[in-house]
Amino acid sequence: MTKLLRLTTIGLTAVLALSVVGCTGGAPSDGGGNDTDPDTLRFMIGQPEDPADLALTEQDIATFAEESGITIELDVIPSENVRTVLQTQLRSGDGPDIFGYDTGPGFAGALAEAGLLYPLTEHFSEREWPIYDFAQERVTFGGEIVGIPNDIETVGLFYNATMFDELGIAQPQSVADLTAAAQTIADSGVIPFAVSDQEGWQGGHLLSMVLSSEVGSDAMEALIAGDTRWDSPEVVSALTLLADFNEAGYFTPSPAAVTYDNANALFYSGQAAINPTGSWLAQDIERNVEFEVGYMPFPASDGPGIFSGGLGSGLFVNATTTKTDAAVEFIDYLLTQEHGRWSVENTQSIPAFPIDTEGIEATPLFSQILDDAAKIADGSGDFGYNIDVLMSNTFNEAMGNGIQGILTGQATPEEVAVTLQENY
Amino acid sequence: MSIANRSPAPAVTRRAQARLGVALVLPVMIMVVAFFLIPLVNALYYSVVDFNGINPNPDFVGLANFERLFTDPKMAHALGNNITWIIVGTISPMVIGLLVAMLLWSVQRASVVYRVLFFLPYVLPGVAIGIVWGWIYDPVNGLLNQLLRAMGLGDLARGWLGEPDVAIYAVLVTAIWAGTGFAIVIFLSALRNVDIELVEAARIDGANSLQRLWFIVLPQIMPVFLMVLTLTLVGGFSVFDIIFIMTGGGPADATEVLGTYAYSNAFQLSDIGYGTTLALLITVLSVPVAVLLNRLQRKLSLQGTGA
Repeated sequence: MTKLLRLTTIGLTAVLALSVVGCTGGAPSDGGGNDTDPDTLRFMIGQPEDPADLALTEQDIATFAEESGITIELDVIPSENVRTVLQTQLRSGDGPDIFGYDTGPGFAGALAEAGLLYPLTEHFSEREWPIYDFAQERVTFGGEIVGIPNDIETVGLFYNATMFDELGIAQPQSVADLTAAAQTIADSGVIPFAVSDQEGWQGGHLLSMVLSSEVGSDAMEALIAGDTRWDSPEVVSALTLLADFNEAGYFTPSPAAVTYDNANALFYSGQAAINPTGSWLAQDIERNVEFEVGYMPFPASDGPGIFSGGLGSGLFVNATTTKTDAAVEFIDYLLTQEHGRWSVENTQSIPAFPIDTEGIEATPLFSQILDDAAKIADGSGDFGYNIDVLMSNTFNEAMGNGIQGILTGQATPEEVAVTLQENY
Repeated sequence: MSIANRSPAPAVTRRAQARLGVALVLPVMIMVVAFFLIPLVNALYYSVVDFNGINPNPDFVGLANFERLFTDPKMAHALGNNITWIIVGTISPMVIGLLVAMLLWSVQRASVVYRVLFFLPYVLPGVAIGIVWGWIYDPVNGLLNQLLRAMGLGDLARGWLGEPDVAIYAVLVTAIWAGTGFAIVIFLSALRNVDIELVEAARIDGANSLQRLWFIVLPQIMPVFLMVLTLTLVGGFSVFDIIFIMTGGGPADATEVLGTYAYSNAFQLSDIGYGTTLALLITVLSVPVAVLLNRLQRKLSLQGTGA
């Protein structure tokens, strides 16, 4: 009996210990899934929208492996799970050696604050990585550079240029032009704007576009820095424009019930004429449409407006990895001119470092995006900001809910502006 | 020889019985400890700290998360949606399930086909159901709106998942569609144990269909009825997946329930302390209901009532 009790106690203790480790993550240990091979890196990324993009990534790391002798094990997880999985793995010491993650303060910033990211400041200066200064600032937390920005993104309006020509619409140069164009499109039986907001984040992009064009980059910086209040008349005016367009029937019917994918499908199929989204969709658009596509900023009331620009995701190194040399070598590879040109030509992403675009093979649509993005980098153009990558989770949730509220008639622009200020 | 006069079993037998008892109980004990007690203790710990999912040494905040719970209007709104879900989402599948089971009870030919057809939605993955019904409800190209327009009822076409007053009921319809098959199949199994002679006797005595159902059939299947009721009811407290997939709790929190609100706090706002407190609230609300119904079911079974 005593023996049995002892066995029972041992069994329960084992289960207890396993469960505690399973539930809480346990003490941090070496990163990289305990793999001691210094020439094998585990690389975690979110699942790309298009499987073709994943195939390109696999091709890219195969090229790197061939050149360097370093093997990269790609760990692809659903994008919506990246945050949860990554936080849990990093805390448990079983995180990937390198990983793709959002660069915002609520994402990489939070990991940096907890000491979970490997500092890259010394490597930056030693290896003279040519990242644009503004991009470098976005991955600098507590005075330490902790990541490599992947690419530059802009947010604007993709439009069906063929349909615009058929309806005799020129590229709008002001909000009044855009309103007139939307009315002409609606009269022809087509949805003017393929607006989706079921997921909630799209509302933030809409506000970024309208507000950036209306107030300009300096005023946007003041808002983001907290020097200007979010319940100021400019913000209310931008929110009111969204409410008015929705009320006038220029947006997809019930946009809060439409998913991002479904809105894109409306644009691809010609059921909607304008798709307000970001440059990351350019390649998918070109893969899916059989008409000419243009890309323009959301106009201001007194001019053509400006694009909202910002960084997409970035690449980060696990603070506990024992394979920093291999990780740094991989970063070296990603920041070469050859790789930059490869990215532009194959994945239609815009590197966050200068590349020589002469002779580059790019479609007219992407060439335009590339030229516009280059102006962000060299400071020759005025660009607004994509709000959600620069603000806190709490603010972003208030913005997403608030704009859904406006689009469903649950909230007024004034009420939403007050909520934004409260959650700043 | 009476039981009282029996001599006690030999010590060897008693030890063997004790060993067997421990061996039989051990797997359950391990599972209870691993899957209930430890997570519960963990949850209690997280509910009294300010944990963002990253910080290895979260600050102790005492009962602050619980205080916040009772003053949070979003929690009250989410709880209200849970109550709507519990009422509509429990009564509908129980009533529809019982009615359909009664209809199928007397079906002799192809009864297996009917059972499979009705049960099929229940075994489909929740994610697939949510996505497909999302397409059905799509405001522009959705099947439902197209059908309404084809029938000349275009005025009723709307963004089913995008209108705050309608969205929760649209998701509920999907959940009822998905869950009723379970009730049908279980009720049908219970009905096979109902004493037909009693039903026939009641018919001869002049009892109508409703009276036969209420006074003859229902009492005989009551324990099974309570079991299905318990599962459906507790499911109403902990509902998460179908709402998360179809609306994400939106638009503007209109379909938020405790489960999605807890998830949003824990994993989107990185407020794991408060998210865990909300999850504990779900447990506190649902466990007493489950225990109560379970006891009632056991009592009826011991009384010899039911299938």
